[in-house]
Amino acid sequence: MNYLLHILIMINIYIPLALSLNLLVGYTGLLSMCHAAFYGIGAYTTTLLMVNLKVPFFPALFAGILFSSLLSLLIAYPSLRLRGDYFVLASLGFQIIVFSILYNWVSLTRGPYGIPGIPKPSLFGFEIDSLPFFFLFSLFFAGITFLAFRSLYSSPFGLVLKCIRDDELATIAMGKNTTFFKIWAFVIASGFAAISGALYATYVTYIDPTSFTLDESIFILTLVMVGGAGNLKGPLSGVVFLIILPEVLRFLGLPDTVAPNVRQMIYGGLIIYLMRKRPQGLLGEYRWR
Amino acid sequence: MIFFQFLANGISYGSLVALVAVGFSVIYRTTKIFHIVHGVIYTIASYFLYSLFVSLHLPLLLSLPLALGGGILTGYLVERFIYVPLVRREASGGIYFLSSLGVYIFLVNLIALIYGNEVKILSSGIEPTVNIGGVILTRIQIFQIFVSLLLFLLFFLFLNRTSWGKLIRAYADDPVLLETRGVNPYKVRAFVFCTGSFFASVASVLSSLDVGMDPHVGIGAFLHGAVATIIGGVEKVEGAVLGGYLLGILQSLVIWKTSARWAEAVTFGLLILFLLFKPEGLLGERRRVEE
Repeated sequence: MNYLLHILIMINIYIPLALSLNLLVGYTGLLSMCHAAFYGIGAYTTTLLMVNLKVPFFPALFAGILFSSLLSLLIAYPSLRLRGDYFVLASLGFQIIVFSILYNWVSLTRGPYGIPGIPKPSLFGFEIDSLPFFFLFSLFFAGITFLAFRSLYSSPFGLVLKCIRDDELATIAMGKNTTFFKIWAFVIASGFAAISGALYATYVTYIDPTSFTLDESIFILTLVMVGGAGNLKGPLSGVVFLIILPEVLRFLGLPDTVAPNVRQMIYGGLIIYLMRKRPQGLLGEYRWR
Repeated sequence: MIFFQFLANGISYGSLVALVAVGFSVIYRTTKIFHIVHGVIYTIASYFLYSLFVSLHLPLLLSLPLALGGGILTGYLVERFIYVPLVRREASGGIYFLSSLGVYIFLVNLIALIYGNEVKILSSGIEPTVNIGGVILTRIQIFQIFVSLLLFLLFFLFLNRTSWGKLIRAYADDPVLLETRGVNPYKVRAFVFCTGSFFASVASVLSSLDVGMDPHVGIGAFLHGAVATIIGGVEKVEGAVLGGYLLGILQSLVIWKTSARWAEAVTFGLLILFLLFKPEGLLGERRRVEE
């Protein structure tokens, strides 16, 4: 039972990541390779406030969202003027810089030693320390994210983003300031990634920079690409499928020494296959051309 | 005096970056594919060398060309079986990049599965060093500098003086027009991928002879090569060479003045500055990159 709850909590933690990256990949047409950076910024901001300044969970979470969104502005404005490969490279660069800061600014982040003993969140003086409660807690955030993105995707704002993805020049011709919309998409996506960071940190109660590497960014992108981009059920199916897959492999009796590599090879193979045969992913809507 | 030591280290590392960058640049400029598989070819050539030289005890002079051949073959197979079907379907940039990323993930983990994640070294002996006016370099470092200089020279002559070089430049400018002239564009593409993979493989074996390898060396080498290409300018292959040396020297000076920890942050900070203020690179002509 606890094992099952753990998997469900991990799915809940990854839902905001996948849905927010979908806003960039599937709605705005931006292949962002730095989502783990915002995930990490959210996790570290929340953690440092909770551990060092004894701030309660909700204000710390709020600060994490705010800080992640603010930092995203720093990268969004310059790199959104670039398109295609240059944007990919800029986002890769940002990912590596953020990881490098988390890893090397030892006096603030404790670098490779990580931060242990992160307190569990508490709600009205009630500490959420058991798995079933944490599951409900994470489900609450996954649910809020789901509802937020559902209304966002079908809002006029979401339509303009889709329009940018399909034909940016035409969108400009219709009098929309596309840079403004892309920056907002970036800011919103980064804020939601920070929620996942805060949940992850308080769930595992220990963080170190290796959870927020380029590989993690690639994994989040894989979630969206395998499930499919451009609607809600695509990324959701990607999260469920790719979080459960390792557990299925475990039941198939794959030894733990080779399991991570085999899993990654399956991800890689899936991407190659889907790009060739089914660019919209399992249940997605947007076909990469 | 210590400055010259770091400068020399920077030049020897820079020549490796420049080799990767020239390979990446010729592929990127010709086919417009953000070829992240370039990084895994870098990794694979080192492991071919390890298998041949350490596991099979073949002589080094035989293992080296075979390892280079393995790298080139991998590059060719990726072009033939991953990119060509996409070209036939007239896919656009995003699909190529994502497919390339898929191949990268697949192959890196295949290597890790076969060889394990730990660092492998080719020889445990201490490299003989040479003292040139107070600057101490190992034999392999000197080799790195001269081999890459020679290759760059040959490659420029090749690009500018031979008919194949002309075909590559023509494909980069307009692949459709080239086809109407009766040239098989897939031949040109295959040749470009082989050439690019050759440069990555040379950098790979020169580096692994010095410091060994692990399954993840490729992504760092690839990213440095790509950054060097952008800094120098994508338009010209000379740009990649210049960018490579500049990046190598810069990293070496950062290590000298601060510490090795910040070399990566400075490198990618520089990339973002260039993308912001001079996206065409040092040798490129000013044009819009938005489109």
